[in-house]
Formats: sequence, C-alpha cells, structure tokens
Amino acid sequence: MARESPAEQAQVLVKSRICNPNFIFSIFSNPPDSNYSKLKYIISSSLTEACNNSVLLLGPRGCGKVAILELVLEDLLEEYPDMISVIKLNGLLHCDHNCALKEISRQLCQEHQLLFSKMASFDDNAQFMVSMLRECGLAHKTIIFVLDEFDLFAQGKQLFLYSLLDAMQSVTSQAVVIGISCRLDADQLLEKRVRSRFSHRKLLFLPPSREDTERLLEHILLLPTNSSFPHEYVTAFNVKLLKIFADYKFKEIVDTLSYSDSTVNHLQRFLFSTVSHMDLKSGLLSLENFKAALSTIQRQPKLEVLKDCSILELYILVCMKRLEAKEQELRNFNAIMKEYKSIHDTFQTSNYYARNVCLRAFEHLLQRELISFEDNRGHGQSAEFRPVKLLISRPELYQGLKSYPSCPAILHKLMDRDG
Amino acid sequence: MGKEESPHVNRRTTRSSSSTTPNSKTVGEVSKIISNTQSLTVNDLVISDESISLEELINSFPHRRVQILELIKLLGPLNSPMIPLFVYGGASTGKTSTVLEIFKHLKRPFIYSSCITCYNPRILFESILNQLLLHRKNERNGYSSAKRCEKPSDFVNLLHDALSTFIDRLEGDLWKSNSKKSPSQVTGKMIYLIIDNLEHVREWDKSLNILPFLFNLYDILKMPEMGLIFISKTSLDTYHSDTGYAESLPVYFPDYTEDDLRKIFMKDQSNPKLYSSFLDVVLRPFYHTTRRVDDVTNAISPLYKKYCEPLDDTGITPDEDTKRKLFKHINPYISQFLKETFQVPSQPTLKASASKDKTRKKGITKPGFWESLDELDFHMSTCAKYLLISAFLASRNPATLDASLFDSTGGSGNRKRKRKSSEKSMEKKESKEQELLMKGPGTFPLERLLAIFQCISSVAEYSPGDEVPQIDGLGANGWDSGLMSDVLLQLSSLCSANFITKGGSCPLEGAIRYRSAVSEDMALKVARSLKFPLPKYLYSR
Repeated sequence: MARESPAEQAQVLVKSRICNPNFIFSIFSNPPDSNYSKLKYIISSSLTEACNNSVLLLGPRGCGKVAILELVLEDLLEEYPDMISVIKLNGLLHCDHNCALKEISRQLCQEHQLLFSKMASFDDNAQFMVSMLRECGLAHKTIIFVLDEFDLFAQGKQLFLYSLLDAMQSVTSQAVVIGISCRLDADQLLEKRVRSRFSHRKLLFLPPSREDTERLLEHILLLPTNSSFPHEYVTAFNVKLLKIFADYKFKEIVDTLSYSDSTVNHLQRFLFSTVSHMDLKSGLLSLENFKAALSTIQRQPKLEVLKDCSILELYILVCMKRLEAKEQELRNFNAIMKEYKSIHDTFQTSNYYARNVCLRAFEHLLQRELISFEDNRGHGQSAEFRPVKLLISRPELYQGLKSYPSCPAILHKLMDRDG
Repeated sequence: MGKEESPHVNRRTTRSSSSTTPNSKTVGEVSKIISNTQSLTVNDLVISDESISLEELINSFPHRRVQILELIKLLGPLNSPMIPLFVYGGASTGKTSTVLEIFKHLKRPFIYSSCITCYNPRILFESILNQLLLHRKNERNGYSSAKRCEKPSDFVNLLHDALSTFIDRLEGDLWKSNSKKSPSQVTGKMIYLIIDNLEHVREWDKSLNILPFLFNLYDILKMPEMGLIFISKTSLDTYHSDTGYAESLPVYFPDYTEDDLRKIFMKDQSNPKLYSSFLDVVLRPFYHTTRRVDDVTNAISPLYKKYCEPLDDTGITPDEDTKRKLFKHINPYISQFLKETFQVPSQPTLKASASKDKTRKKGITKPGFWESLDELDFHMSTCAKYLLISAFLASRNPATLDASLFDSTGGSGNRKRKRKSSEKSMEKKESKEQELLMKGPGTFPLERLLAIFQCISSVAEYSPGDEVPQIDGLGANGWDSGLMSDVLLQLSSLCSANFITKGGSCPLEGAIRYRSAVSEDMALKVARSLKFPLPKYLYSR
C-alpha cells in the first residue's frame, strides 16, 4: 500500500476532528462557569449525595448539548468507576412506551451482562426496570437516563415519563434524568403530574460568540506540533493558517457565515467543505478554499431551480404571476393556458406550443416544487382543473429571470408591466 | 435476576411446525440449488468488474466534471470520515449514475437502497440490513430477509451490530490480503450508505418520524466508519420539519444547457457531420420546451429517421445545398413532432400519412402525422357507453338546463326563441360559460345521472338509424326491463375504471355525488360509435 503523503494524512486528521463533536466542544470545558462545569457539578453532587435528580438541557440544534454531556459522562466514568451506568434513549426511536421500556431493559442487561429476551412482555420489562432501580439504589450505584429529543417524549399521554419518574420516587433509587431538547419550552409541554416530579433545573446552550468562534477555528484547524507529521510541514501549515485568520477578508467570510446561522454545526459543515478542497500538492489551506466553501454552504435553492427551467416553463410561471396580479380567483392549468394564448395573440411570440406540451411542462414545474396544488384532497380531478399556487415570490421570479441566460425579452417586459 | 435468551427465530415456531419434516422432493431440488448459489462476500459490495480511471470517469459524464471532482474531494482520501452529503438536482441529470460510477472508480464498498423500490420503512430497513449482512434472498431461506425489522429502534441496534461485524470482516480481509500479497478488490475500512430518491419518503405514512430519523441517522449511530449519502430530486428546503433536523452538506447537479445537450447527443454518432447539421435545426425548439435529457432523446430519434429519408446514402457529409434541402424537408414535421412529443402512440396508428391537417370543431387540430383513432380502441358495452355519455353531460351542463334539453320526446328540438339580448349580456354569458368550462367537470347525484340515461337511451330506440341490434333479441320492451340492475353494475365498473369518480358530497344532503373524469374527445368518440348526436346536447356551443 502506498504511503499517504503528509498532506493527505493531515487532511484525514483534520476531517476526523471535524466529524467528532466531542473534540470540537472540548475547548468549552475549561472555563469555570460554563455549562460543562455546571452539568458536572449537578451530576456529581447527586452521585455523592446519593439522591435523585433531573435536569433539562435546552438550546438550538448544533450547539453542543449532547457533546458536552458526553464529555461530562466520560470524565465522571473515570472519576467514579463502577458507580454509574448510563442508559441512552432517543425520542425519535423510543417515544412509544413499550419501545422505551424494552430499550431500557436491553441496555441494562447489556451493562450488567444479563441475557436479554426479545420476547419479554411489557409487564416483564416494567418490573425489571423497577427492580433494577431498587437494587442499584441499595448498592449505591447511580443510573443516568439520557433522554434525547425530550419534546418527543412529551407528546401524547406522557406515559413513559410518568412511569419513569414515578418509579424513581417510589423505590429507593439513585437516578438522574437528563432531558435534551431543541425546543426552549420543553418543560411547558409536561403534564402537571409529570412536572411536579421533575425538577425545574434548566441549562441553556447558546451558539458561540465571536471570540469563541475564533478560538474554535484555531482549535480545530491547527495541526499539533508534537505529532508524527514532518516538522517543517506543520510549521508551514500553521503559519499560513494564522496569517489567513488575521486577514480582514477572512473575518468578513466568517461574519457572513454567522449572520444566517451561528451554530457550531454550520461551522462544522463549512470547515469540512474547506478542508475537502485543500490543495493536496502544496498541502496548505488558502483563502480561496474558504471562499469556495462559503459559496457551497450558502445556496439559494429556488434561484438554482429557476435557472434550470426551460423557456416554456418560465412562460408558465410568468402567466401565473400575472393571474395573481390580476387577482383572478380561479388559477388552474386552463386559466394559465388562456393567459398564455392571450399573450401570444398580443405579442406574436414565436414560442407558442400545443396544449399537451404545455401540460408536460406544467408537470415538470410541479415536480420541481415551484408550483403546488392548493389542496391535497382533490385527487378526483385531473391535473388540468385543480387550482395551483406559486411557491416563489415576485422578487425571486424577477431575479431568476434576470440571471437566466438568453431569457426572451418578452418575459422581462411582461414582468415589468405588472408594476 | 437474569433473563433467558430465547432462540433466535424470525417467527414463532410452534411445536407442530418444527416437528414436521419438509417434503423429500423439495429437499432434493433445494440441495441442487444450494450447490449453485455461493454465499456473498465482501467483494460483492464493490462493483469490481473493471476498474476505471479518473479520466475515463470524467469522459463518460461529459458535463459533470465539476460535480465529479467535488464529490471525490468530499469523499476524501481513504479512510477519512465524512459528514452526510445531500446530492440534489432535477430529474435525469445523472445523480445516481454519477455517484455509482464514482464508487466504481474508487473501489470502496457501498450499500445502495432506493426509496422507490423500498416503499415503506420496513422494506428499507430490511434491504439495508440484507446487503450489510451479505444475505441474499433465495429459495433456501424462503426469500425472507436476514432480520425482521420494523421499528427504527430495532433498526439502529441491528445496524450498529451489522456495521461492527462488517468492519471487522473488512479489516480481516485486508490483513489477510496483505499477508498473502494478493490484490484485494476492496479498499479502505469505511462503508458508504447511499439512499436514493429521498423525496418519496415525504409521501409515506410515517414520514413525520422517518425523515428526521434518516437525517439524524449519522448522529444517532456515532460510527465514523460509515458515510451517508442522500440523493434527491428536490433541494433541502422542501423537506419540512417542525423542530428541524441535522443538516447535511449539499451538492448540486444543475440541468444541462443547450451546448451540453448537443455534446451529449453527438457522442458516439456514426455520422457526426450529418447529425450535427440535424441538431442545428432541431435542438433549439425542443430545448425551449424541456431540458430533460430523456424527454429530448425520445423525441429526437424518430425525427432523425425522418430527416435522413431523402438521402440515399446516410454516410455522406452534407454540403450547404443538401443541408438546405433537408431543412426544407424536415421543417413542417418539427412542430408536429413537438406536439406529439409526449404522446405514446398505440400500435395501429403508426402509419405515416400525408401531412394533411384535419380540422375538427373549434380549432382542435388533429395532427396529421400520427392519425389519432376516430374510434375507441377498446370495447365497451352499449349500456356502459350510454352511461358514460350521460355522466359527461351531467358533469358538463348545469342542472337547470336538463328540463329544456331532455323533454319527453328526448329531442333537443324545440328551443324557444330567445329574445335578442344585448351585446354586453352576451359577453357576460360567454365569459361565465368559459369560467364554468375552466373550472372543470361538476358533480351530480345519482338520480340525475339515471334520469339523463333514461332519456338518452329511449331516444336511441326511436332513432332512424338501424343501430338497435335486433339480433341480440333486445326489443324495445326488453331493453327497458333489463335496464335497472344492469345499469348499477355498469356504473360501479365505470367507477372502478376511473371514468366516473366520486366527488365531494353536499354536507346538507349527505348523498354521494359523482363526477365524470372523461375528456371531451373521448366522449365524442363514444358518441360517434353509437351514432349519438352529442354536440346538440352540450351547453355552450
């Protein structure tokens, strides 16, 4: 096997850093009043004081809730070996009561090297969980329940949450329930009886500030000096990277990136795209890589689709826009055809096509999701009679026509005329 | 307190089923087949027929160079982890084939599932697990999957186990091949999961759960050895979710431009000069209607045959005169072919006729190249035909006209002479009629349909033509008596054939209303076959 060049190795290293959220968020674990230390304090205090506890981690997606929790759990597992067992549930998978209990039993069995039976009934699983809680409480072992997508557990009758919290309170148990959700009002979703058993502790996770973003960039991209890479390569790489960071154009790029979405996930995708475009011959990152990555991340899908349309499809869109401007109530394919014919009669265009050709272009527009039917129920009627609505706005259509190569001038005139 | 592990079965075996032995005949056949099928190995997850170089790859997709290079860069060198990719673009832009060819070039193992063939979550999960566990459905295991998996929670657990065993197997194979110094087909320690046609998942029943689950799959699994690639026709913003999901990295495949299309069609042509002069003439009108490669291809190939007709020898290089001659020959056919582009002709009409345009009423021109059949090319009973016409009339005309159109003699003869109305009210009436036409067929209750049917079929008996078949033994009386039960049966068969659909029901009355789903052309054809004067009964003429 051919040995990889240091550039390729560096690329693999940085990419694996980017794809690993635990690594990314490890720099946020140091300051004393960060979420990391607060969470660690909560869990370790309930460990040492042998009591039950519950906490909610809230924040937009991609801000590191799960990653920081994993870091905390890793540290605690090192500090207190054999005193913790962790059960992980996810609201997307286990929101059903049966499913959740089965998964809890399976994970408990795996952890304590018991044999798990898939045929166990719901009652068996429930009894098992309760007795495990009691046993672990007597043995001073804490069970930590991590409920990801907590708001999905709080839908419906919240049977599972109630049974879990009730079990924790009724037997002598040591358990910590950690709920993670992207809805900031997740605790308002809880029923009264569930909320009374749940503590009101919340930790808020926010997207990083400007300085934190810069620290994060350095943390991810700079190569370590004491690794197996050749020393000159590492210094050349890091020096060039620091020069780029100091450049004001780079600061503009990062600003543009964080205007729309300043979460760490967005940054992660941006960096992944940048590192993928790294020039492998020189093995160094350059400002062009960052710019290219910015344009791939920030896309305008509707304008792209408009550029993909054929001329007949553009005609149909402009006809629909005119029907909207005329405030005509009935907008279906027949109405569009009538408008198209009237345009052809007034302006004598060369692009006049037969009805079934236009119907096919109409169906293409439906597929591209520039147009959609107004109601979902009217499957009885054929596509010609069902009312449709436009899914792009007037400025978008205008901009799309302007940027369309070789757009017929008649379309511009028609759009302008509506005023 | 421990739990017993039950034996791993896909179905519950009862004592009786496990004790019966299979038939001796089938055992013999099965053992023959067993010797023919081999078990799958890891190599089967790589397309290992031939290896292609990067240049060949780019040449086989002439205008996808940018996208191919971008995808290869995002996939990265061997064993580099990857965040999920989202490949999107219009229809027939080459997304699936490009991605698969890239994997053929890179020789990395992958698993492919399409959400069209796997039309519900269970089939999707089982297909992915089957490929990962190298399980092939054959007669020996009764065409069943390796594991039965319906819920996402089971899928995640099974997938995790299957991925770990697969990666161990990959590493074992690599180690073995390294020590034996024989070339291994498979490279790398990663496996890629390709999910195609993702936009169909939105129409599934449980799409509210499944879509966020698929997008978050990478985060849930937390296995860096797996790469995930989604392919979809629509962009990410058309996937709606209340609480959002983990976004993936978009890669865009734009549609082909006119020059791209031209180069694609010119590939592998036997006579490039002739074909390029053909494309000069023909490509632009088609390009203005649609930019999809498959549509334009289907339209162009018969046109090329027409283009080459006046030439004796299709291998010549045309000069200016020949070009002009061919252009004049092909020009009238282009617009006809455009109209016919999206029609699938039925066999008996593929006769080349003279290019006479037959004009029918109100400017509906029947194209002359492919004669459309004036008769129906399927058989319907007479009763069903009358029902169809009555349904069409009931949908087309407003109910208030029935009394004047269908009087007791069944004729539409004595229309009262209307007062000469002013121009404005005539215009208003006409625009109202047009509105009604554009809105589509209206709904009608069953009683109205039967009333019209009675009128029409009684007209037919007294019509001067000798269409009433005495051979069948249906005299005027016999027609009446066998009518009612037959009609309802015919009506239900018309409904199941979607000629008549059930429209919305009026909330006050509560009875079901029907709607005719037949176009005017078809109704005219049916009426002509019965020699029924349909145009006299239509409202706005």
